[in-house]
Amino acid sequence: MFNNIQEFYNMLPMIIIGAGILVSIVIEMYSRKSEELIAWFSVFIFIAAAIYSLLTVNSTSIILQGMLATGGNVNILYFIFNFGAAIVTLLSLDYIKKYGTYYGEYYILLQSSVLGMMFMAGAKDLFMIFLGLELMSICFYALAGINRKRLNANEASLKYFLLGAFATGFVVYGIALIFGTAQTTSIDLIVAKFQELSGNLLFIAGILLFVIGFSFKIAAFPFHMWVPDVYQGSATTIAGLFSTGGKAAAFSALIVTVGAIFSSTIGNLFEPYLIVISVFSMLIGSIVAIAQEDIKRMLAYSSISHAGYMIIGFAAGNSEGLAGIIFYLAAYTFMNLGAFGIIALIEGKDETNLSIKSYAGLSHRNPLLAALLSVFMFSLAGIPPFAGFFGKYYIFIAAIKAELTWLAILGVVSSAISVYFYLRIVVLMYFKDAEFEISLEKSNTGLFAVIVSALLVIALGVAPGSVINLISSFF
Amino acid sequence: MHIQIEYYLILSAFMFIVGVVGVLTRRNAIVVFMSIELMLNSANLTMVAFSSYLGNAVGQLFVFFVMAVAAAEAAVGLAIIIALFRNKLTINIDELNILKW
Amino acid sequence: MNIYDAIFYLFAVVTGLSAFFVVTTRNIVYAAFFLLFTFFGVAGIYVLLGADFIAIVQLIIYVGGILILLLFGVMLTNKITSVQIKTGTLQIVPAAVGVGLFAGFLIAVLTYTEWKTVDTALPLTTTEFLGVMLLQEYLVVFELLGILLLIALIGAASIARR
Repeated sequence: MFNNIQEFYNMLPMIIIGAGILVSIVIEMYSRKSEELIAWFSVFIFIAAAIYSLLTVNSTSIILQGMLATGGNVNILYFIFNFGAAIVTLLSLDYIKKYGTYYGEYYILLQSSVLGMMFMAGAKDLFMIFLGLELMSICFYALAGINRKRLNANEASLKYFLLGAFATGFVVYGIALIFGTAQTTSIDLIVAKFQELSGNLLFIAGILLFVIGFSFKIAAFPFHMWVPDVYQGSATTIAGLFSTGGKAAAFSALIVTVGAIFSSTIGNLFEPYLIVISVFSMLIGSIVAIAQEDIKRMLAYSSISHAGYMIIGFAAGNSEGLAGIIFYLAAYTFMNLGAFGIIALIEGKDETNLSIKSYAGLSHRNPLLAALLSVFMFSLAGIPPFAGFFGKYYIFIAAIKAELTWLAILGVVSSAISVYFYLRIVVLMYFKDAEFEISLEKSNTGLFAVIVSALLVIALGVAPGSVINLISSFF
Repeated sequence: MHIQIEYYLILSAFMFIVGVVGVLTRRNAIVVFMSIELMLNSANLTMVAFSSYLGNAVGQLFVFFVMAVAAAEAAVGLAIIIALFRNKLTINIDELNILKW
Repeated sequence: MNIYDAIFYLFAVVTGLSAFFVVTTRNIVYAAFFLLFTFFGVAGIYVLLGADFIAIVQLIIYVGGILILLLFGVMLTNKITSVQIKTGTLQIVPAAVGVGLFAGFLIAVLTYTEWKTVDTALPLTTTEFLGVMLLQEYLVVFELLGILLLIALIGAASIARR
């Protein structure tokens, strides 16, 4: 399997998580307090894998007979997945008691979904992408319905499962057509042959089916209708994972596959299609979010519009666009996880306190939470000096360089619309009085996780240049 | 071999389209899932036809993976359907009221 | 028309027709049985295409595994006593329009493409080749598949238990 010991070291983040899954299963079998033990163990392995992948970011190589890339942006994506998952785990420690799914399997499924994400991001072969995608998705289907006694969770997981499997059908058919025309499944060989294949309609149809299937996972326009229902129906921490880790993994798979094709020399064949889905995702997300009363539904529509902004990077098709997508993914992961974390802290037993009205007057009752949520809302709205602003900035600059100025302007208009519903929450927290009392349960680990994500959002906003330079140096 | 590869591909495209129609039009979650299986089968058929006509058996390897993944998906999906049936006593997807379809 | 062609047309008709009936029949148990014929037809076509191993796996996994699982699902989610195993349809018009466009595109593309076929036929049995590939080049994918099956087991058990 490994040709030399260096390959083993380069693959260590995956090995850590993979071994962690097996150890967690053993802990679950033999320990009485497995829920707590597995949670801390997961935090440990996620942090270890995250730090290790950041330390070895410069050792770029292709290992395992050309199946897997390591180092460079792949490791940056590993850091995003693992650090995000560690934050989700810390939030879940107290949350799942109140949600009623106090089982060890919860964390085992979480770890495996992260393993799937990592294989998707590092894949150099369509087989690998497919298996990683399915590992992640199957964990997500199970996690959405983990509380089997709750009707909301049942319905959310059924809906997620049926539409997800439908999208998988498109991905598989797309891969079959790509294989039939390119006669290989290795991504590098397909990209090398792209020049001669681009005249073959069947090959283009295969790529299009592949991208349509993936637009389900990134929650973009043709397949976006599941997003609000699934986020509303499943546990808040899990919804946070869907909207950050799941989206980031699907985007990274698109970067390694079609990103390479989109930025090839013969011009961007798919530009019209990408522009259409990007425009519709941005506008539908931003406009429908205004009418939402449930905060999780509102963040779900905002997640659709953020997918639209990121697709602008693909439509631009230059290396600035792809680097901008990776930066945007980092910023979006931490700001959105922070927002979902605060929702999880405020949510009461039996999914209460989820309407926007329960945030009125939060600044009097809990100034710290109100301040943190304002940071995340400003960042999501794209107001400087937070990370979200620079994410949008780099993407729009890339679009302007690719002579898509009107698309960048449309993006700015859409974010201007979105400022309304993000700032509405801030106004409610600071300038309105509470209509009813809500009791907050203390959760120190959850608060810690939210503070860490706020610090990351501020850090990415204060020093975006060094991060984007690091990312672009690998393209 | 006498039969041209188009025949296999058109058969599989027909199965794929029938599967898509089934997913979009049927109410019962299990029938929707059967339609998804049709889609996966048609993709597998495409893959095997290509692999046979191109003399490249790697396609058959992919079919093997797709089948194993389909089995795993079926297990999780049936578990979800049964959990929903216990709480709601129906698995018709248009009767999911709490979250609109 | 030789015997080879005749066998292909037989299997193609069985597969296509039963796939059509899976989606159109109103009785779920009938749908499951038509699915059985579809799977059998596809397995027969695999044999015609020289994919012996895949044909057997198709029978074992699809017919022996997934179909039985689906039938269990049908049994467990219907009150057998009140014989209401019927099912209706929804959203016919948008589905018909979208699918019609898609079908026209797909079939047009398939018929107009010039196929390059290679004369190097596959060896008579592919099992050995597949085994070697699985344990050499694609070993890491194979191991990932192992983890996936394990996790599917855990996920299914944790959702379906009482």
